[in-house]
Amino acid sequence: MTDHRIPAGDLAPEGIYPPTEEMLRAPVPDAVQARQKENLRRAWKTPQGWRYWTAVNNSEVGVWYTMTAFVFMLIAGVMALLMRLQLWVPENDLISADLFNQLFTMHGSAMMFLFAVPMFEAISILILPAFLGARDMPFPRLSAYGYWAFLIGGIFVIGSILFSAAPKAGWFMYPPLATLEPGIGSDIWLLGLSFIEVASIAAAVELIVGALKCRPPGMRVNVMPLYAWYVLVVGGMILFAFPPLIAGDFLFELERSFDWPFFDHTRGGDPMLWQHLFWIFGHPEVYIIFLPSIAIAAMVVPTVARRPILGYSWIVLSAVGTGFLSFGLWVHHMFTTGLPNISLGFFSAASEAVVIPTGIQLFAFVATLIAGRVKMTLPMLWIAGALAIFTAGGLTGVMVAIAPFDWQVHDTYFIVAHLHYTLFGGMIFPVIAGVYYFFPFFRKKMLSERLGRWSFWLIFTGFNITFLPMHLTGLLGMPRRVYTYPQGLGIDWLNQISTVGAFIVAAGFAVFAWDIVRPKKNQPQIARNPWGAGTLEWSHEIPETKWGVRSIPHITTRYPLWDQPDLVARMDAGRYYLPDAEEGLRETIVTSVIDARPIQVQRVTGPAYVTILAAGFTGGAFIFPTFHLYPPAIICAAFAVVSILYWLWTTTARPPEKDMKDVGLGLSLPTYAAGPQAVGWWAVWITMLGDATAFASLVFGVFFYWTSSTAFPPPGAAHASGSLVALATAALALSWALTRGARGLNRAGRVGLARGALALAPLLTLSGMGGFILSVIDLDPTSHVYPAMMWALMVWIVAHGIVGTIMQLYCLAGSIFGKLTPRYDADLWNVTLFWHFLGLTALVTGAMIGLVPRLM
Amino acid sequence: MRDSDHDRQPHPRGDAHEFAEERESLWRITLAPTIWAFHFVISYAAVSVYCFRYDHLAAMGTLRAALIAMTALMLAAIAWIGWRAFQRWDVRGTGEFSNPEGNAEDRHQFLGHAGFLLALISFIGVVYDTLPLIVLASCR
Ligand code: HEM
Ligand SMILES: [Cu+2]
Repeated sequence: MTDHRIPAGDLAPEGIYPPTEEMLRAPVPDAVQARQKENLRRAWKTPQGWRYWTAVNNSEVGVWYTMTAFVFMLIAGVMALLMRLQLWVPENDLISADLFNQLFTMHGSAMMFLFAVPMFEAISILILPAFLGARDMPFPRLSAYGYWAFLIGGIFVIGSILFSAAPKAGWFMYPPLATLEPGIGSDIWLLGLSFIEVASIAAAVELIVGALKCRPPGMRVNVMPLYAWYVLVVGGMILFAFPPLIAGDFLFELERSFDWPFFDHTRGGDPMLWQHLFWIFGHPEVYIIFLPSIAIAAMVVPTVARRPILGYSWIVLSAVGTGFLSFGLWVHHMFTTGLPNISLGFFSAASEAVVIPTGIQLFAFVATLIAGRVKMTLPMLWIAGALAIFTAGGLTGVMVAIAPFDWQVHDTYFIVAHLHYTLFGGMIFPVIAGVYYFFPFFRKKMLSERLGRWSFWLIFTGFNITFLPMHLTGLLGMPRRVYTYPQGLGIDWLNQISTVGAFIVAAGFAVFAWDIVRPKKNQPQIARNPWGAGTLEWSHEIPETKWGVRSIPHITTRYPLWDQPDLVARMDAGRYYLPDAEEGLRETIVTSVIDARPIQVQRVTGPAYVTILAAGFTGGAFIFPTFHLYPPAIICAAFAVVSILYWLWTTTARPPEKDMKDVGLGLSLPTYAAGPQAVGWWAVWITMLGDATAFASLVFGVFFYWTSSTAFPPPGAAHASGSLVALATAALALSWALTRGARGLNRAGRVGLARGALALAPLLTLSGMGGFILSVIDLDPTSHVYPAMMWALMVWIVAHGIVGTIMQLYCLAGSIFGKLTPRYDADLWNVTLFWHFLGLTALVTGAMIGLVPRLM
Repeated sequence: MRDSDHDRQPHPRGDAHEFAEERESLWRITLAPTIWAFHFVISYAAVSVYCFRYDHLAAMGTLRAALIAMTALMLAAIAWIGWRAFQRWDVRGTGEFSNPEGNAEDRHQFLGHAGFLLALISFIGVVYDTLPLIVLASCR
């Protein structure tokens, strides 16, 4: 019996855990199994017909996501071929200089933003739940929303080249080139990619929460698959790397749309701020692309070596270490920009230090292979190719990390060669290895061994034919990003070799793509565990079932399929947890972070249109401003908010029909969680960490201007009204206190008082926002970067204030309509957490607008 | 169920609380790298602010000395964290270099091992980052 005085979020699991061997040995009667399967099948049924597109299950969304990213990659590859054709002979006039600029900009941007990062998230959405024996990701609709946002944004960005409206300032968009560029190219880049970055962050939040909270019971941190460790590290990196870029995009777009001079040095701005923000993102980005590939290798290598990985802790160390160190490298892209030598020194040092963890990972793989009995399967062939190419790229990388050498080859084809060696070795080859390895899991069919070898050798040789000569081309002085070159530099033949190579690579990709899409209807059913692997994803059922796992196992080893002999049979029989779906709901188990003790049954959401609507409207809110159409953008934003509120209100944190649920093996778990126990709370926490990073980047901007120019703030400049700033800050602080107070009052059963606090708080928030607006209203943001920066901070806090207000009202409505009660108060916990961050942001903003400039 | 002793497998050492979950945290293994990050940011920011704004006020030597003193402190902190983690790993007590078992003791020692290795790499990182301070004496 549950005690109804205890808040539902505080209920503890009851019964036996861990299960005893005797319990696990007891058979499950056939009739029971049949009934359970029927229930599960109904709960997890994929929608049919055109409703198929409302699916949110990770196995559907993951496939769409990977295929979309792959198609974007092929399109970007075609652009590369066009460029190579143009460079076939000197002084060629196949492609105009203008189109060539668009081509390399779009090729680079699409490869990085539409392929490399989304591909990691796509593959992870597809396979992470299987690694963890979970039925689905914790927030399936969030994945679906992220996917649709990615699709819309990607088509928008890549489609622009068909209208010759694409950006053309290079994939890192340096101002002043990009700020002054006429046309909408830069706006498409900034807004379109910001939209995609938001989707990337959403996916990262989901993946992190998945790896932390959705592991199977018993899977402690020291036995979880290495892939999950990499998901944590890369997710964390996305969280800290993307926000600075978003902050940069924000300033950049304000400059382009409203002429606020952030990067215009005639009015106190400084283009270097963009370079900093871009590369604080850009270098970790290289590792964000590269670590997931290592993660794939970490899954393939033990399987082909037929032994557990050597140096598990060392690999974890390297992953975490690389994650940190890679943030200390950004300035090595700015060696030629005249920073003080001593500052450059720090970055040279960090660049060399990051080689250590990278080396350790590769070393652990090689050691595992040597210690095992290697079977040269197709996935292993691709991994071997990756290792060879990446090592070569690493060598040239160490060379360019040395500042004086970089001054020599900066902006030549040497860099183009280096870049592609690391990207092919660190990304393309391992990902293809992963596709060959996991394809039987994704589609329950095998890819062709023969076609696979063909495409490997085509891509491998073609790649070297294309890019090896480029080192020489660069040393002979051919600059990058030129649409043509004069005769007689001795580089004609080198360019011809490169172009031939590019087409060989393309042929290899064609073979690979054909292998994936060719019909496989007549192929015999594959073996369940075709590679003889030891990790949980190969307990998948054949033919395919949609429920993920038949029952959620108790895991005590790193390679459960090797070390827990009866595991698969017991999973299939429904002997483990959650073998049934009596209520017809989709459910998975939430466990504790360190030891994966079961703590809750999480109901996950099913098919929905609202995610597609929400993504479409969010897209509108980002896309219309490209054309300076602000009213439709605002309308779209409003509709996006409404759709998201509808989605949250109808499906998240609703009081369950019963507080405890029997999950099998004598264990009962709560069906509701609030606060730090709840996955939703974790998602808010992680999201706000990213949000705070973006805000920190703006604050960094203020100090950056102060150090970089002697006139920030300019002498005699008007300041924001100090008293208004103080009042506004106080109002927001009070609003925070009321929100926090409402949580306590509500828990204590003082519902009336809690509602009062929640009604008063939005008024305070609104007046705080008003105070901030009024405090800077007399400053002219177009006149100088100082007032522009104050306005930017104001816009930031007001935008967050709007969200904060909506959240307070959401809780008020929840309380009035019975969604939020003293027992079921998860929403209020999440909103309070948001407000902790908002309160802090308000204090810092108040200081940055009202106080700090007066002291500078 | 609240206390994690429920799911403890028997292990050689009897101490009931030593391996309790609530005393562990994933954040703990990131402590040393976080110190590295602070060291990096503070050195970089201090040198930038000095070189761009205050290089007429004081000699570079003072700043360098201050930063090197900070480095020494931070290295000591990392070393201490590393030592604590090394004890948790307990390789001398158990003779086990790797901890692949799914029990509380192995999880505890694994976190010690990972924390120790991360302290090591952070230590190296901090030393690397300090080299320019020692080698280069001026802003230009
Ligand atoms: C068939 C394969 C490929 C070929 C032939 C190719 C060729 C090229 C060429 C000709 C350029 C322009 C060089 C210049 O004018 O400066 C370029 C730039 C670039 N490529 Fe590729 N590429 C290929 C694959 C890739 C892949 C797979 C990635 C990333 C995952 C990638 C990322 C980039 C980036 C980031 C740039 C720099 C763009 C810029 O300068 O803004 N490329 N590539
Ligand atoms: Cu870099």
